[in-house]
Amino acid sequence: MSAGSEARIVGAAEATYERHPAPERETETFIAEAVVAALADAGIEHGEVDGYGVASFSLAPDHAIDLTWKLGLTVNWLMEDTNGGASGVNMLQHAVRAIEAGDAETIVLSSGDRLDKRDFHLMTDSYNKAVRDYLARLPLSGPNALFAFITERYGAAHGLEREDFACVPIAQRAWATMNPGAAYREPLTLEEYLDSVPVAPPLGRYDCVPIVSGGDAIVVTSAERAARLGRPSVGVRAIRALYNPDHQDGNGIETGFSTIRDDLWAAAGVRPEDVGAAFVYDDYPVMVLVQLADLGLIPDGDVKRYLHRTLLEGRWPVNTSGGQLSAGQAGAAGGMHGLVEAIRQLLGRAGERQVEGLELALATGYGMVLYSHGACHNAAVLERHS
Amino acid sequence: MVSECTACGYLAYPPRLLCPGCGGSSWRPRPAGAGVATEVTVRRPVFERRQLPSGEWVEEEPTRLGAVSTEGGVRIIARLEAGIEAGGRVALVRRDGVAVAVEGS
Ligand SMILES: [Zn+2]
Repeated sequence: MSAGSEARIVGAAEATYERHPAPERETETFIAEAVVAALADAGIEHGEVDGYGVASFSLAPDHAIDLTWKLGLTVNWLMEDTNGGASGVNMLQHAVRAIEAGDAETIVLSSGDRLDKRDFHLMTDSYNKAVRDYLARLPLSGPNALFAFITERYGAAHGLEREDFACVPIAQRAWATMNPGAAYREPLTLEEYLDSVPVAPPLGRYDCVPIVSGGDAIVVTSAERAARLGRPSVGVRAIRALYNPDHQDGNGIETGFSTIRDDLWAAAGVRPEDVGAAFVYDDYPVMVLVQLADLGLIPDGDVKRYLHRTLLEGRWPVNTSGGQLSAGQAGAAGGMHGLVEAIRQLLGRAGERQVEGLELALATGYGMVLYSHGACHNAAVLERHS
Repeated sequence: MVSECTACGYLAYPPRLLCPGCGGSSWRPRPAGAGVATEVTVRRPVFERRQLPSGEWVEEEPTRLGAVSTEGGVRIIARLEAGIEAGGRVALVRRDGVAVAVEGS
């Protein structure tokens, strides 16, 4: 995708994340709320939508076409994405091309999941056949232990202790205090972090995303339609992706992001130091660091210094919603959470936590643990058009 | 047991359909063999009770789990027998349908 594509993101919204959803609030309820809110944010009428995409773990037996019907849409372009944490950027990559090609003009991309205790275990134990057949009965119950190994490995490679990893959730929680939509908004202290309930050492409670139910949506349209709205919009300078780069043979800390880095920035026509904020997939603090480093945002490779000086003291904007670590992970909506916040920030609609003068931002997707670590990597360089 | 590509010797665990090394589709079983538990953790349950895909509810207990690098170069996520620490040499056996690391080489 060359710099300055002819598609624009004009709206983004989240259905309020809930830790204990009422029984009648289903996955499709959250998705519908997000779609309505994103269209309102964009100033686009329901009847103008001619493309629809959805990502969810819990739509079954429904699919994208059922949602299209229930949402009262008639579309020329339809997509269902199953890539979890990488679903938001993946759908955006396809939507931008569809709009450039004229296959659709105004596309709503959505995601959401309702997850309670039972849903969570069924989802994590049957995540794929490999997990179901080779890991679920260890028992594993979700990827916490796998990312404990990855955290241990990364800590050993970079000389990081728990006090260092703590900088990620503490810095993100400081942003979350300014996000009314975050599930956790109280400031987090180092003491609380270190004293927290162990989940899978070295991971404690604050290293793991709280499970919530929710939905996210964005609206993508042509540059021409965006211009008629007479408001700022967000352009996509470049998206690059890499799936299954190492067949799960790698160590999880050298990722596909390092492979796509140079091509991403070359295609975007900017350098990593040009972006004013980053929205990276934060299922665990270690993956925030892996992505920032692999994509060139920690140029000297001194991760420890970056954590304390840049992230914690410098308050350089990473995951200004509080990220999933504070806002919560609503299943596949987690794959759009960072994108929604990036768009809000670039459109100047981030309220108290607004990053002033933001022109360029990075948003990433990561995930789908096949066996030992995530297999999906994608990243978007986004730009404000005033 | 791991799967070995009969054409190029690539070792797969869990098994694949086609070989990432050569595209071949012929596999033979091979013992996972010995290895080293490179990282170790004790997984605490997210919730106290857990429902299996079969519908059955089971009580959740902490589990000792490890990443085991085998001599053949495969990384296997295994349940650890008591006493196995990070860096320890282990043998891999199949028990209760999952990989279990036991002491020994
Ligand atoms: Zn082969």
